[in-house]
Amino acid sequence: MSFLLSKLTSKKEVDQAIKSVAEKVLVLRFGKDNDPVCLQLDDILAKTSHDLSKMAAIYLVDVNKVPVYTQYFDISYIPSTVFFFNGQHMKVDYGSPDHTKFVGSFKTKQDFIDLIEVIYRGAMRGKLIVRSPIDPKNVPKYDLLYQGI
Amino acid sequence: MGLFYCPLCRLTAFTGRRHLYSSSHQQRLREVLGRLQAKVQLARKMIKNAVVVKYEVGEHEQLFWCLCCKQEVKRHLSHGSLTVLHGGLLQHMASLEHKKEANKFWWENKADAKIKQQFLISPEDYERFKSSLVKALDAYEEKEDEVIKEMASHIREVEQSRQEVLHAVLEPQTGTEFCDESSAFSTPGGRKSDITIITEEQLGPSAIQITPDLDWMEGNHALTFIGHQESEGKGNVHTGAKPPWLMQDEEEFESKQQIGPSYEEFLKEKEKQKLKKLPADRVGANFDHTSQTGEGWLPSFGRVWNQGRRWQSRHQFKAESGKERVSQRKTGKRPKSELQ
Repeated sequence: MSFLLSKLTSKKEVDQAIKSVAEKVLVLRFGKDNDPVCLQLDDILAKTSHDLSKMAAIYLVDVNKVPVYTQYFDISYIPSTVFFFNGQHMKVDYGSPDHTKFVGSFKTKQDFIDLIEVIYRGAMRGKLIVRSPIDPKNVPKYDLLYQGI
Repeated sequence: MGLFYCPLCRLTAFTGRRHLYSSSHQQRLREVLGRLQAKVQLARKMIKNAVVVKYEVGEHEQLFWCLCCKQEVKRHLSHGSLTVLHGGLLQHMASLEHKKEANKFWWENKADAKIKQQFLISPEDYERFKSSLVKALDAYEEKEDEVIKEMASHIREVEQSRQEVLHAVLEPQTGTEFCDESSAFSTPGGRKSDITIITEEQLGPSAIQITPDLDWMEGNHALTFIGHQESEGKGNVHTGAKPPWLMQDEEEFESKQQIGPSYEEFLKEKEKQKLKKLPADRVGANFDHTSQTGEGWLPSFGRVWNQGRRWQSRHQFKAESGKERVSQRKTGKRPKSELQ
C-alpha cells in the first residue's frame, strides 16, 4: 500500500471520481492493500504518479468495500486496474483475453507510463479502445474462467 | 435398331448401338478418360516413392469421380494425423470390383482397349506401392522423433538456465521462502513431462515463454484469486450492463448539488476550446474578461453643469454610488453591469 496514493472507500466516492476527473486518465486499482502483487503495483503507481500528474489521476480501491464494482467489472484476480477518461470506460487490448481491465502488476514503471500515454492519446483522438504498447511477454498471464455468460 | 440411351453423352440415340462408334461419342470418351488419366499418372508416380505428409483437413479430404464404378472415391488416404498422397486412388484402382467395372465400361462404351491398362493398377504395382509406403512412414517417424528430441534438449537447456538464475536470486533470500521456491520448481517439472507428449508446434512458443515469465513473475501463479463474481440477474461489464456510476438510485439530491456548477464549468470549457481555434493575433485576443471594472472607468462622471474641479464631481459620484449600492443590497437586486 502506498501512503502517497489516495484511496476510495465507498461506491459514492468511486462514482464521484469517475464523474469528476476531467481531461485526465482515471486509473482505479482494485485490490487489497496487503496482497504482495498489489504492493508491487502500488509501488509503481506511487512512483509514477507525480510524473503522470498532468495526464492521469490514480486512486486505490479496496475490493471488499465496493462489491458493486467488483461484480460489475468481474474482478476475480487482484490487482485489477481499470482505466477511465472523462467518465468513459477505456478498453485496452493487452493481448490477454480481457480487454476491460489490466490484471496483475507491471514489470517496469516505463511500461505503465507508456500505457497511460497510449490511453491518453487514444482518448484525445476519440478512441474507446486502444492497443497496449507493453510487450505481451511482460503482461501477466492468468486463466479467464467465464461463468455462463 | 431401337432406342439407346448413352449415359456418357447423356443423350438418346435413335440409331441404337451405332452411336457408340460415332465421332462425338469417341471424342467425349477421349476427353473424359484423359482427365482421369492425368490423376492416375500423378498417382503412378507415388508407386515408387510414396509420400507421407501431415494431415490437413481441407486439402486431404478431396474426392475424385471414378468413371467405371460411377462413384466418388477418396483421393488421398488419411489415418490419424498423417496422409498418404494419392493412396486412396491407388487402393481403389487396384481393387477387384474396379477391374470388373472397368472391363464392363470399356466393353459397353467401345473405348480404346489399348489404354485400358493404364487405368488399372496391377497387384504387383500395388505391392510395390505398399513397400515404398512402409519406407516412407518409417522415414517420417524418424524425422518426428528427431524434432521432438531437439525440442526436448532445448527445453532442458532453457530449464537449466532458469534454475541457475533462480539459484542466484535465492542465495540472498531467507530460508522460509525456500519452500515456496521448491513448490515452484515442482510445477514446471510436471509441466515438462506433459509438453514432450504434445506436438512440436505447441512446444516452440511455450518453451520460449517459460524463462522470461518465471524470472520476474514468481507471483504469477500467486495472483490472488478472489472468487468468481457471481452477479446472477444483474450483468457485468462483459454483458454490457448499466455501469454503477450511472445508476442514480439514492444519490439524486446530493448529486444535484455537485452537478450544477460543474455543468457550467463544462460549458465554459467548451467555449474556451472554441476560442482556442480562432487566430491568436486577432484584435482583443488578450482581452481579459475576468477583470473587474469599477464604476469610475469613464473619465467623466457625468456632471455636465458642474463647475469646479474634477475630483469634486468624482467625490460626488462616489458618494452617490456608495448610497445606491447600500440601498440595492437591502432590496436584493443586482447592480447594473457596466462592462461590455
